[in-house]
Amino acid sequence: MIGRQSVSDLLNQLKSDPNIVHWQTIPKREARYAPFPQSLDERLKDALVRRGIQSLYTHQAEAYEAVSEGKDVVLVTPTASGKTLCYNLPVLEAMIEHPEGRALYFFPTKALAQDQMNEMAELINELGLPIKSHTYDGDTAGSIRQTIRQSGQVVMTNPDMLHASILPHHTKWVSLFENLQFVIIDELHTYRGVFGSHVANVIRRLKRICHYYGSHPQFICTSATIANPREHAEALTGRRMFLIDRNGAPSVRKHFLIYNPPVTNKQLNVRENESYVVTRLATNFLKNKIQTIVFAKSRLKVELLVSHLQKLNSGRHDRATLCAYRGGYLPLERRRIERGLRSGDIMGVVSTNALELGVDIGQLQVCILTGYPGNMASVWQQAGRAGRRQDDAVIIMVTSSNPLDQYMADHADYFFSRKPEDVRINPDNIMILMEHIKCSAYELPFKRGELFGGEAVDELCDYLTDEDVLHFQREKWYWMSDGFPANNVSLRSAAQDSFAIVDITDQGHAKVIGEMDRFGAMTMLYEDAIYIHQGTQYHVDDLDLEERKAYVRKVNVNYYTDSDLAVQLDVLAMDKHADFDNDKLEKGYGDVSVRALPTIFKKIRFETYENIGWGKIHLPELEMHTNAAWISFDPALLDLYGKDVFQGALVGLSHLLRHAAPLFVMCDQSDLSVIPKIKAPHNEKPTVFLYDKYPGGIGLSEKLYQEMPKLLDKASEMVENCACESGCPSCIGFVNEGKAAKLTLRRLLRER
Amino acid sequence: MTVSLTKKLQLYRKQLHEQNARTAQKSDHDSGCSENREQVQNKEIQRAAAALGASIRHFDDQFVLVHTEFLPLSMKIGPYTLNDLKPIVDMWQSDFSDHPLSARGLHADDLLFFDTETTGLGSGTGQMIFLIGWARVTCNGLELKQYFLPGPGHEAAFYDAFLNDCGSLKNLVTFNGKAFDWPRVKTRHQFVRDQVPKLPAFGHFDLLHASRRLWKKRLESVRLQTIETEILSMKRPVDVPGKMAPFLYFQFLKHPDAQLVKGIIEHNRKDVLTLISLYIHLSNKILGKIECDPEEHYEIARWSDQLGNHAKARQLWETLINGKSLYQSPAKVRLAELCKREGNYVYSLNLFRSVIRECGDQDGSLCIEAAKLLEHRFKDYEKAIHYTQKAIDRLHKSQGSDETIAKTEAMYAKRLNRLDQKQFEKFS
Repeated sequence: MIGRQSVSDLLNQLKSDPNIVHWQTIPKREARYAPFPQSLDERLKDALVRRGIQSLYTHQAEAYEAVSEGKDVVLVTPTASGKTLCYNLPVLEAMIEHPEGRALYFFPTKALAQDQMNEMAELINELGLPIKSHTYDGDTAGSIRQTIRQSGQVVMTNPDMLHASILPHHTKWVSLFENLQFVIIDELHTYRGVFGSHVANVIRRLKRICHYYGSHPQFICTSATIANPREHAEALTGRRMFLIDRNGAPSVRKHFLIYNPPVTNKQLNVRENESYVVTRLATNFLKNKIQTIVFAKSRLKVELLVSHLQKLNSGRHDRATLCAYRGGYLPLERRRIERGLRSGDIMGVVSTNALELGVDIGQLQVCILTGYPGNMASVWQQAGRAGRRQDDAVIIMVTSSNPLDQYMADHADYFFSRKPEDVRINPDNIMILMEHIKCSAYELPFKRGELFGGEAVDELCDYLTDEDVLHFQREKWYWMSDGFPANNVSLRSAAQDSFAIVDITDQGHAKVIGEMDRFGAMTMLYEDAIYIHQGTQYHVDDLDLEERKAYVRKVNVNYYTDSDLAVQLDVLAMDKHADFDNDKLEKGYGDVSVRALPTIFKKIRFETYENIGWGKIHLPELEMHTNAAWISFDPALLDLYGKDVFQGALVGLSHLLRHAAPLFVMCDQSDLSVIPKIKAPHNEKPTVFLYDKYPGGIGLSEKLYQEMPKLLDKASEMVENCACESGCPSCIGFVNEGKAAKLTLRRLLRER
Repeated sequence: MTVSLTKKLQLYRKQLHEQNARTAQKSDHDSGCSENREQVQNKEIQRAAAALGASIRHFDDQFVLVHTEFLPLSMKIGPYTLNDLKPIVDMWQSDFSDHPLSARGLHADDLLFFDTETTGLGSGTGQMIFLIGWARVTCNGLELKQYFLPGPGHEAAFYDAFLNDCGSLKNLVTFNGKAFDWPRVKTRHQFVRDQVPKLPAFGHFDLLHASRRLWKKRLESVRLQTIETEILSMKRPVDVPGKMAPFLYFQFLKHPDAQLVKGIIEHNRKDVLTLISLYIHLSNKILGKIECDPEEHYEIARWSDQLGNHAKARQLWETLINGKSLYQSPAKVRLAELCKREGNYVYSLNLFRSVIRECGDQDGSLCIEAAKLLEHRFKDYEKAIHYTQKAIDRLHKSQGSDETIAKTEAMYAKRLNRLDQKQFEKFS
């Protein structure tokens, strides 16, 4: 092929692209090595040398030392820094010395466990010792399960399996629990929110069982870069942790570009769709045979991008191999893609955050992010996929129209100096805790005064006795029910009763296109609603509350629907409270009851926003108890600005806060709700509530309470940052009295 | 600053209750719990023990209720008396077939008839055995013992008593004990293993397996109670269904009243006794000591065949072939297959032909069997072609999905082509 351009050629062209709003060059970093530790078994050293490893990186050596000293360790490692050796080395060393010892590894997905098993197998093979390591999950053949239970020295599994299979049958795992020396928790940062809160409780149960069998395993955790790795690891494991975060692995020079698509609709301040831009950029690299990875936020977007990108092959003889990579693929398919990427047979891959995790695909030259991924940990995990051998790596983040993306595009210095977010869990969420108390009591009876996660749980056990689940006798609470409690707890579902969205456009082939929690379903999936899913309009034919299904049909109409929700927010208990900004503002945190009654819906025309009809919603009221943080304003402001304008400002502020919150806590937008109240029932003041969208709360609003003045600062910067006149998706959204509301809000936030 | 658990519990009581409703069974709220409730309960349990005719055995500070009785060997259980057990065991001594139910080398008093009741059907660590019953023949008649767990805190006493009394567990006679009762004994034993004797070596005569073999077709479900009524013609006047056991036991734990569990204990006792009758009955059938109906004959023969006892299978099938029953033809097919395996091709072919003649051969598969023999053993291609064609005709008339018929037909056609070829070669 003639005239193929190199990375530097393409970079040069990009230099003159006016849409590149920032260009950051991250210098190359040399590796820092450490010799093999003295105590490392000769055979293990030889095996490593044979695999081409002549010395360790400093962080690997540090981890080895810390583990040898018996410390519980959390290790922060970027992508491709050789984290696996950090735990495999001390584990193998221990197995060589004490073959009866056991190690339990758990990974957030089965695929990762599989990868790690293969890597471990290669090392063991090289070592030439009969160390038995195996995965134990839903895919494990029944015939070898018993052997693994009795004699597997390294068992690799996932938290779900631990929760529903291993722990409730611990009597079949006696040799593991009696000799458990290490628990390895990989990808610690994925255990956040509801999932993390569940997993923390699974670990409490695991520790109880270990204690019962007389073992006291060491914990070795690894995490992507987050703000609070030690705190998070400690919250998750209940152990004091030793932090290792000085990375010794090398990295190449990296060019990190931020690309802000041009404004296409001046009036509404709408920018060119980021997917088109990404397609254009990626095509340029792929055409020139430069291996590129594109990240997108949803599965559907991934598929869409791949089909756009395929067009570059049309009419060309020299085709570039492209593929999508996402959850829901079969293991063999995924193996094939991973191999193709490592060997270079596959030129381009479009992935969801599935490839953020430690799946081994080697490194590629270019990485393109479709929009700000929502948190800095993801940014760096994804960016870490670029950086092959000696060549410079290119990372391009293409920002979307939403306020957070636009803020990042305009504040690149902030973006690059930004610390990653806090990861929060709330293992003591009473709803979650209670489920695990049941599971744990099923596994072993609770003694009076026994601690679970550092707190006595006698009262909860008494409660469960009243509920006829436990029976108290001789100072112990015993499981006394014919049920199997682990079956009722799914670690990963945010809301336990989620609704399936079923597309029945094609009568014969109904398919589930999405899931929504009950709250969302009742406000967006009522009968006759127009539900927009991945850019396609659907009409809701029926919402079946019993079966938890919404039946939708593809339509093409020129309006959308918006429900009026009568939301009652009552503060049940105020735990924290403070005035700030010279006592002008008041913040609070506590338990709230959220009651929502969808009343009517309006049909609103797309172009003009005019109201072209309405209908009644017939659904029962919903109630949820959770945690909330709130900010209250002086009621006098109402008179000052006028009720309508002030209300608009409050709604606009909610819109901003919803987008600004992920700057402070790692969460999805669906984890948090923001509700403005012109007159909050507990203090009669204009108030914006931010509440955790999970019964009992998962620690998000608590963190936001702490960050309150800073959160408002960010909201202020976001609104100042936006050039529009009367509100747009990048700032306050579309509200009544947009122009006045935006002005008011700017003043409110500025003149604090 | 955090809200206390108590307060949280108050706030979330309603939601928690809804959450629990998904797991829990019925709810019957217990009123108040006094300080010395446990002492009161222990007194109540003692009263219950007396009402149940059970003695209390102590172990450290735990205890267990043990009910013991000796039943005269003349006692009738269904169609048999306990006296029938010894002759059956004796009969097994002269049977050298290695049958799974064989008691060869054992005495009647080696057999331990064993059954349990549990707090749930799950296999996890949270389900308990609360009642063990066993019976064994002794010189004083049948010894029947039942151990009742007075509460979850007394498991050491429970297993200690059972393990000290039962002697050898090498010859347990159970109904589904292999998959159900015994794994649960092992799980629960783990919890008290430091305090009580080790679990000895054990072996099973699992009567579920045998019953399934013989009566799967005629019974709606192969459960012990169904066998009792349908096979052994026994009647249980009043019985607490086994699935009620957990609930009644949970009630008892809260209000130790003998009436609550009396029914379960009697149920368990009856089950253990039925096991004896069932063992005798099955042995009689398998050893040919009592009349078998054709279906039983046929199944026993099939089982013998699979166990490698071909002589016995042959003999049973021949008996069936000589009689008139629904199993005459199936027996011929089985025997034909056996003869083929043993190299008796002439007899095998005759049998296949006879079945084809008499009852049709619905899908043509028997014609194919005949064709195979004719082709490979007798080199009679012409007749083989005749049978293959016949098979294809029958296949067309048979019922079955078009897809499977097409697939089978393709196979038959292939055979036909090959036979044509061979026939052609033979004459050229």
